[in-house]
Amino acid sequence: MAKPKIGIYGLTGCGGDQLMILNLENELLDLLRNVEIVAFQEASSVQQDEEVDIAFVEGSVSTELDLERLKDVRKRSRMLIAIGDCAIGGCVQAMRNQEMTMKEKMEEVYGKGEEYFKVLEPYGLSKYVNVDLELQGCPIETTEIRQVFLSLLHGDTPEIKDYPVCVECKLNEYQCLLVDKGMPCLGPIIAAGCNARCPGLGIDCVGCRGPIMNETNAAEELHTLLEKGYDERYIENRLRFFGANFEGILKLSKMLREKTGGARGK
Amino acid sequence: MAREIVVEHLARVEGHGGIEVTIEGEEVKDVKMRISEGPRFFEAIIKGVKYDKVPDVMRRICGICTASHSLASIRTIEKAFKVEVTPRTAMLRDLLIHGEVIESHSLHLFLLALPDYLGYPDALSMMDKHAKEVKAAFQLKKTGNMVHNALSGREVHGMNDRVGGFSTMPKEEDLLSIKKAMEDSKAAAEDAVSLFASLDIPDCTHSENILMALDPGDRFGYLGDHVLISDGKRKRVEEYRELTNEEVVKHSHAKHSSYRGSSFMVGALSRVTLCKERLYGTANELFREHAEKLNPRNSLNNNLAQAIELVHCIDRCLEDIDALFNNGIEKEELAKIEPRKSSAIGAVEAPRGILYHDYSFDENGCITQANVITPTAMNSANMEKDFGVAVGRLVSERKENLESTLELIARAYDPCISCSAHLINVKFV
Ligand code: SF4
Ligand code: SF4
Repeated sequence: MAKPKIGIYGLTGCGGDQLMILNLENELLDLLRNVEIVAFQEASSVQQDEEVDIAFVEGSVSTELDLERLKDVRKRSRMLIAIGDCAIGGCVQAMRNQEMTMKEKMEEVYGKGEEYFKVLEPYGLSKYVNVDLELQGCPIETTEIRQVFLSLLHGDTPEIKDYPVCVECKLNEYQCLLVDKGMPCLGPIIAAGCNARCPGLGIDCVGCRGPIMNETNAAEELHTLLEKGYDERYIENRLRFFGANFEGILKLSKMLREKTGGARGK
Repeated sequence: MAREIVVEHLARVEGHGGIEVTIEGEEVKDVKMRISEGPRFFEAIIKGVKYDKVPDVMRRICGICTASHSLASIRTIEKAFKVEVTPRTAMLRDLLIHGEVIESHSLHLFLLALPDYLGYPDALSMMDKHAKEVKAAFQLKKTGNMVHNALSGREVHGMNDRVGGFSTMPKEEDLLSIKKAMEDSKAAAEDAVSLFASLDIPDCTHSENILMALDPGDRFGYLGDHVLISDGKRKRVEEYRELTNEEVVKHSHAKHSSYRGSSFMVGALSRVTLCKERLYGTANELFREHAEKLNPRNSLNNNLAQAIELVHCIDRCLEDIDALFNNGIEKEELAKIEPRKSSAIGAVEAPRGILYHDYSFDENGCITQANVITPTAMNSANMEKDFGVAVGRLVSERKENLESTLELIARAYDPCISCSAHLINVKFV
């Protein structure tokens, strides 16, 4: 049987998800016996523009070039998997979407003047192309990459977690930072899969795996945080770090603004 | 005669970038290091964010040197709010950054740089003939990652290093297994030095390099508050604007830097050259042994300098772990923070060179202004200088040779642009 062909590509991001694949280290060498890598941007100069069975794409679409490359990869791949938050919700670089224009960002960083580059408001891949599977995380977890590789090799569909970080937190019997300590933990609205890393270390979740699509949770979270006395702007920023492109978060953001009359507090 | 040379893919570097060299007759007319990676505007988006979560956003600038960004960000915030951390926190940070250098250098040396010299497209395809090197790479990388995991909570974008200290202390058994892994990988690091010292390194870039590195104090290291410069000057990091003179260039998403009108170099070669008296132990012996191969006028020697640093880092991690055990690893509370309207500038030596973070805060501790200067941005202008020098010398060579030489030079800087680079474009007019 021919080995499945795999391509690993990167758009605009930090390179961390490709690095997590390399972090499989010796296991990667074993996995590679069963597949053929035809492109691995961060690790290889082999870049064949050929058809692939599975394309893993990291990074957000933030430039015209990103978009061109994404469309090209989509055309050539049977299955396209978005790896990491950048490729799903745009990650932190999207946190000011619909709040600041690209021109404002440009002027802030490069100074006033002409527009130097063709930049786009950052979004994940699914805004532009059909995505077959999304692997959440900033970065993705090695355990999940391993699972995905294995189930794809066996022809199964990988399992995706649709419950919040709180579930993993409770399973680990960690003390609840939100209820017991009043810390602004986003666990209730964020997708599980990290085994509640942050609460395990005593740190409130900032939502790096991105939100689960459940508005009830989100509204409740907002309510709890406001009740605990957190400033609206603080909460809004918090929700936006990894969620600015998500419907539920945008709604909350809007609700907050209506409540405060759009005032920019602390 | 007009010739145009285009190399579509410069992979095995971090990010989207490229090189464009224009030649008229025998003369190099123009050299451009293009960084086309989409800008992510961290300095703009971070405005309004309260200090406690600023490092959580800023460390996401880079997946490879994530702890360096964390520490630069945290140190800047602590400076702004005049926070003193405990000796234990300082020790853990020292361990963390040395672990990161191991992870980053082993990735670069073996997986990104070595394939050029051995004639392979990547390290994975070297497995058949060079299994030893590939395995050494993974062993060292894993050892560095163990430090990330145990101290910061994850290999990439770890969260346990906070403003004011570490949220949770590393577990004793984790420190013990890191210690064992470090002892087991020391030979691999020493072999890396012999390997890179044995390679035939071209000297086509041979030219004046102005060097800069943070002053690590008495002993070689990666944290400091002053910058050493090869012209003999020593400046406070607060004077960084004078040292970098960033300007926007139209062809790149990275701003270019200069010092007194010249490009300059940061990174391992600058560090070992400017701080050679502070190397100690095996790294010091190896530096002396290979001193003539570490001439800072040849930027390609940066690879060997990184290998020497690998050895230093392993020894230092072992020292730090022993010191932690001797002084205790019981949990300490995070330092108390009182935000105030203030500004500060902090720096660390990231694996690729000096990294500056500069923030201003309002009275609630929310960011009002931010500026970040990364080592690759600082090195861009110097890379352009080297491309120009090399092409000037090799102008009569075949285009394939020119292209591969340019790639070799770019990779020696270990540029961290974030994925892969395109559009190496050598134009002959
Ligand atoms: S600490 Fe956070 S993740 Fe854990 S149960 Fe509480 S809210 Fe949920
Ligand atoms: S707890 Fe939240 S911030 Fe921490 S790793 Fe999990 S999803 Fe990310």
